Amino acid sequence: MLLEIIDVFISGLINGSVYALMAVGLTLVYGVTKAFNFAYGSFYNLGGYFAWTLLIPLTIIGGYFSVFFMAIPFFFIVGYLLEKVLISPLRKYDDWEMKVMMLTLGLSLFMDFGYQSIFGPRIKSLPGIIEGTVQIGEIVLFQQDIVIFILSISGMLCFGWVLNNTRTGMAVQAVAQNPAGAQIVGIPKDFIFAATFAISTIMVGFGGILLCQKNFVDPMGSTDIMIKAWVITAFGGMGSIRGSLYAAFILGMLEAFVGWYFGMIHVQIATLTLLLVTLAIRPRGLMGRE
Amino acid sequence: MSLKRMLRILCGFYCVMGIMPLFFGGTDYIMNILIMILIWAVVASCWDVIMGFAGIFSFGQVAFYVVGAYASAILSVSLDIPPVFSIMMAGVITGLFGVLVGLPCLRLAGPYVALVTFAVHMTLVPFLRGPLGRAIGSGGSQGILTIPPIELFGLAFSSEQLVPFFYLTLSLTIICTLVLVLVIKSYWGTAFLALKDSENFAASLGISAFKYKLMVFALTSFITGLFGALYAHYVGMLSTKMLSMDVFTILMIMMVIGGIGKYPGVVVGAVITVTLSQLLAPLGMYRPLIMGAIVVVLVLFLRDGIISPIIRILSSWQRVGVEEE
Amino acid sequence: MRKTGLLAIIFTLVMLTTTSVFAADTIKVGVPLAATGAYAGSGDNYWKGIDMAINEINKGGGLLGKQLEVVRFDSQEFAPEIVMQGANYLCGKMKVASVHAGWAGWGQDIRAYGKYDAPFFCDDGAMPAVEVYKSDPEKYYNTYFITDTGGDQANSMFNMLTALPYDYPNKKIVIINTDDAWGMEVGDTLSKRFTKIGWKVAKRETVPYGTNEWGPILTKIRRINPAIIHIEIPSSQEVITFFRQFIKQPTDSILSYGWSITPLEVLTTLGKDADGIVGEMPAGMPAPKAPNAKSQAWVDQYMNIYKHPVPAGSWIAYTSVMAWAEAVKAVGDEYDFKAVNKHLKDVGYDGLQGKMKFGENNTLHAQPAAPIVHYQVQDGKLVALFTDPPLKPYGEYKFQVPRWIKK
Repeated sequence: MLLEIIDVFISGLINGSVYALMAVGLTLVYGVTKAFNFAYGSFYNLGGYFAWTLLIPLTIIGGYFSVFFMAIPFFFIVGYLLEKVLISPLRKYDDWEMKVMMLTLGLSLFMDFGYQSIFGPRIKSLPGIIEGTVQIGEIVLFQQDIVIFILSISGMLCFGWVLNNTRTGMAVQAVAQNPAGAQIVGIPKDFIFAATFAISTIMVGFGGILLCQKNFVDPMGSTDIMIKAWVITAFGGMGSIRGSLYAAFILGMLEAFVGWYFGMIHVQIATLTLLLVTLAIRPRGLMGRE
Repeated sequence: MSLKRMLRILCGFYCVMGIMPLFFGGTDYIMNILIMILIWAVVASCWDVIMGFAGIFSFGQVAFYVVGAYASAILSVSLDIPPVFSIMMAGVITGLFGVLVGLPCLRLAGPYVALVTFAVHMTLVPFLRGPLGRAIGSGGSQGILTIPPIELFGLAFSSEQLVPFFYLTLSLTIICTLVLVLVIKSYWGTAFLALKDSENFAASLGISAFKYKLMVFALTSFITGLFGALYAHYVGMLSTKMLSMDVFTILMIMMVIGGIGKYPGVVVGAVITVTLSQLLAPLGMYRPLIMGAIVVVLVLFLRDGIISPIIRILSSWQRVGVEEE
Repeated sequence: MRKTGLLAIIFTLVMLTTTSVFAADTIKVGVPLAATGAYAGSGDNYWKGIDMAINEINKGGGLLGKQLEVVRFDSQEFAPEIVMQGANYLCGKMKVASVHAGWAGWGQDIRAYGKYDAPFFCDDGAMPAVEVYKSDPEKYYNTYFITDTGGDQANSMFNMLTALPYDYPNKKIVIINTDDAWGMEVGDTLSKRFTKIGWKVAKRETVPYGTNEWGPILTKIRRINPAIIHIEIPSSQEVITFFRQFIKQPTDSILSYGWSITPLEVLTTLGKDADGIVGEMPAGMPAPKAPNAKSQAWVDQYMNIYKHPVPAGSWIAYTSVMAWAEAVKAVGDEYDFKAVNKHLKDVGYDGLQGKMKFGENNTLHAQPAAPIVHYQVQDGKLVALFTDPPLKPYGEYKFQVPRWIKK
């Protein structure tokens, strides 16, 4: 029985790290730019298709190493351009938050079906980064899951550290808290917005590559990822990186234990009930601030 | 926009819609489109009143629509209540549901309302599909397959006979549209304008934002639920597929095309969106692709949707006409 | 100011009416399939079969001397009003002579196309759709179900599992199925049948689509160590992730995948790793060697065009187009729906695998000419072990005990 609980606990950790990976980009962008990116899941898939294109038809030398290396400039440029061309022109309107949501909703439609028309409606699979398992006593783990666990947590923690301890990070936070004030003290607000968006797009791209190689590249999968990421950010508190991290693991554990004890069919309703109750009591989520 | 102008546009629209069956009464394909335009126009209008007018950032519109549809379907199938009554009851239930959702969240700032309402939307899917939903008669994942048609004065209104159903929908649409126009142009409407301009100042004049928001929320939920119920009895079957992002996106596109807070605009938006979606249907997967691109372009370049430029062009024509005289 | 509304409506009208341009020298065939959304993959399978049949007929000089013209409609994710719209568009506006739909819904499609008379071939495979048909067989007389329902297929799976030349180490089965009509039907039938012969259904798990983390379920399965694990999820992702996570620490169980073995991606992704899994395909084509030369030629042609093995749905969709064409030829008028339907029902069709007939509820029940085929994955390919009915071993292919079962 104890062994079983440990096993489920590990499933929870794996779920949690996958969720953390999904949510990190969303919460960062929202925290700084207050732009809610509905096309989030589609960027996730862009990561998957990016890796697929390089690895399968182009059979790039260096495998995943090259993919990650090339992903950094690629996603930076995509994110930067997206912010400059599509989002920052909207910022001058007073209802720009709503406009951003609508624009990105349209964008996600465009991107999802763009993938479908380019890559076809069927799912694609990527080769694993690491194959193989690790055995500790009775418990067997995928090396892949361990990699995702380490990368997603360290990624988030690093990011939190940069935000809180470096000059650039503080500038980003200053813009997040008071854009006008930040500009007065000489922080290039527009650049910070675009750069944050670009950096978060890199994180999303990396997340997409990691997750798509664990599961699949699914042209219709973006809505699912959007919704999961959204649940986690809402639960953890919009814009709070640490909140998202907690939320990811709480929900991951909840999913594993409810699925194990009551059955998988009750997982979704349990998760969403927890979210609704939390929002009713603490509308800003676990760690959210005004 | 003045009340007179608004009414004229709407009156013109519904008059034209009203004579449509004379030309297309025999073509089910087009009648079906027309009925869906009428239904979507009202549902999208309600959303526009909430979002554009009352400034409530609600993402729960589709949820209310589905609650209305399921409520009426369950009442008429499980309890044998005649559809005429069950539709009214569904409206009331949805209105109450709206109040229930509104109570915790309407005091909050914009994005948080979106969070809570969208969470409600997402919770409905596993609820209706799961054992709890099955217990109240939602039919689980296959949904409800045998929703009876509406019977009124011994006549059956359903998808079998589209012309009578069209006129039934049209009359309900006109009533609900008038109610919405009255709301926009009434004391409530003025209150909202004041709240939008300066919430603090409005509050100091004794306008309670919360009270008015809750009232509008309840009213639009009621109307949305009513039309959800109408839709349920129209197509005769329901499933949780209605809660997919598809419907949500289509409604959103209607608002973007029509212009948020430009009231009759959204009605034109509904016409254009449904038509466009039908015209592009033969293109398969390029349909959503094009729709998505349209949304992006419209949001960027036509901030008030399509109705403002149309009005501008039309009034410039009128001016030219006057000058020539 | 009412010009605004007027303009919009005129625009609508002009656009709607101009699209209906008629060409009289072709026969229109309606194909409402999911081209976008979650079911686009299965839609693609049906489309390939239908397309092949149409091309073949057209190359052979057409039907009654006229070329066939396909009118496609995207039924997206089968929302009732979209399906209704499809029926009104295809049958009402385009006046197609027949409708070939593949999986088209769970009853809304029967209703929508039942309003018209053109033969409607669908692969709904679930009881709710048949219930709609049964509610008014006269009205829905033009509906043809081209495969058995989930319950009937599950009975066949049960027969196959109990007939496997293998000694089960215990009498415990774990059943995992989706929460839709199809999954529930199969799960219910299997658990009833196995309980009856004294087995224990040690775990029955209903899962939503999109389940990709199987840890908690596998934990329970490992403790149970059942003789059979049956998975009924008609979607490739879930069954692939299940297998990957299962094989990491397997139990001594026969993995029975039911219909879930058929999505194309399962084998292309898992390849030889999947060796040992058993599953079925309704109205299927036995493989690797087809039952006769005609069928083999067809399979070769298919592989030649599409470069992949025949997935579920392709063959039967092809066959239903051919069956309809045959009926039209016999009647001599594609718009004499009464006669075409009568011919389809009374005479049936002489297909690649033999003479087939629609039975009770206008369903093409499993029969020698359109059998349920039970496969095992061997060397990365589907190998037919049994055909049903009658349940009998197919060719000289032999069941292999999966490699993960400790002897």
